Amino acid sequence: MKKKLYVPYPGHFDGLKELISEAGKDIYSVYMAGSPDYIGTGRSNLSAPQIEDIREQTEYAHKHGVKMEIVLNSTCMGGRQLTPEGFNLNHWYLEKLDECGIDTIVVADPYLVETIARDFDMRVVVSVLSFVSSPQKAELYEELGASSIVLDPDENRHFEVLHAIRDAVDCELKLLVNEGCLYQGPFRYAHFNFFSHAFGPPPRPNVLDDYYHHKCISMRIKNPELIITSPWIRPEDIREYAEITDVFKIGGRTHYINWVLNCLRAYTEETYDGNLMNILDCPKELRDLFYISNRDLDGVIDHWKECPMICNNCGFCKELTDKFVYMYTGGGTENEALTQWSKMAVCA
Amino acid sequence: MNAEKLLQARADLENNLRALLGRAVLVIELDLFALPCGCNGITANMRGLELDDVEVFEEQMLPYFKKMAASLDIPPSFIFARLVPGSSVVAAINWRVLCDRCYPEFARARGKKPRPDIYIMHIERREGRGSEKRKG
Repeated sequence: MKKKLYVPYPGHFDGLKELISEAGKDIYSVYMAGSPDYIGTGRSNLSAPQIEDIREQTEYAHKHGVKMEIVLNSTCMGGRQLTPEGFNLNHWYLEKLDECGIDTIVVADPYLVETIARDFDMRVVVSVLSFVSSPQKAELYEELGASSIVLDPDENRHFEVLHAIRDAVDCELKLLVNEGCLYQGPFRYAHFNFFSHAFGPPPRPNVLDDYYHHKCISMRIKNPELIITSPWIRPEDIREYAEITDVFKIGGRTHYINWVLNCLRAYTEETYDGNLMNILDCPKELRDLFYISNRDLDGVIDHWKECPMICNNCGFCKELTDKFVYMYTGGGTENEALTQWSKMAVCA
Repeated sequence: MNAEKLLQARADLENNLRALLGRAVLVIELDLFALPCGCNGITANMRGLELDDVEVFEEQMLPYFKKMAASLDIPPSFIFARLVPGSSVVAAINWRVLCDRCYPEFARARGKKPRPDIYIMHIERREGRGSEKRKG
């Protein structure tokens, strides 16, 4: 399938060079976060590229035929964006990014969608953190000036909704393929708001333990069915979305380039042999606990395409979990082994 | 002490907790630490462990926790669970050999939760009030 892949990197020049030299031909656009001193992002940041870094990296990407996207998808700016000082500062920063030749800019705040669409040349992308999950919401964002919308991943397996959104708007639609967050996760809004402050302009909260992360991981450790029901799209299955879009975003801007390249290869070739956990972005800690052979899930998309996701009435994903989720024991020692999760867990 | 021993201790701790609880638990990291005050010990960063688990299985967990610390040459004099404040999430199990300055902070506290983020599983009281070196 001919497609456009948006590929993450942490934001350092060495990472970009490695990515482009290894796989530039497969990348439509790279993306990274901007400086947290102006507008934060809904994820943790490994770097804080300044204007000159961004300019240099954008020129390099363009020289190699790759577009550059900057993510400023803070879900909470504390209202500062609406003050004259906040507006001036943000506007100044956006002007500088525009001058750097940025192709697309991802924001979650509808106010920024409208501002950027009106005042700048760079195209504005509605973030996955705007949770666009219906044709109505997509239409409203398009009206504000969106040229592209990354849809709420919770809709990734709701084909009826995806088709309805496709029919409702003319703008580009993008699907985030490998986010492993909980389906209908209760922590999403609070967690992204927390990140927006922790990785946004000061004052930044000094938090030792991220409750939302701990709790989210803990739930999946107790019940790995939540990994199966989370709305990732297997590399083999992206062709099923051909009538909705040909634009796909790989998540993972806090990972090493080698990890990104592994994901990129999988989604470019639309095939992956190995542990599904290795290509999921969010619960990276869990790849040392669970092994789910991606091959074992061949064909499950046929069920999910028709699935209303009323899990209590179904049991399909529970069955997959019992059959295909394995767990490492003795990890890191010579006795490391895999055990079927359902055979060890009392609550299986 | 060597890396292999530490790796084995991590895996054994994980297996022990899984067997006790009958479900998956992940020891995401097992660290030896040394602090500038003189405190030292081991930290097991946990995923999937809750305060309820510790409270219910404390009696069964403690002997193993003590044995494990001893096998890594850490005297198991003070063992506590570190919680995400205000929640049931156990972020880590700590085996801490308290220095003379930090000892009174914990030893004088009443009950098992001297702070919202600490659940004391075991503390060995000392005779006297700490050394002269750290006084003042």
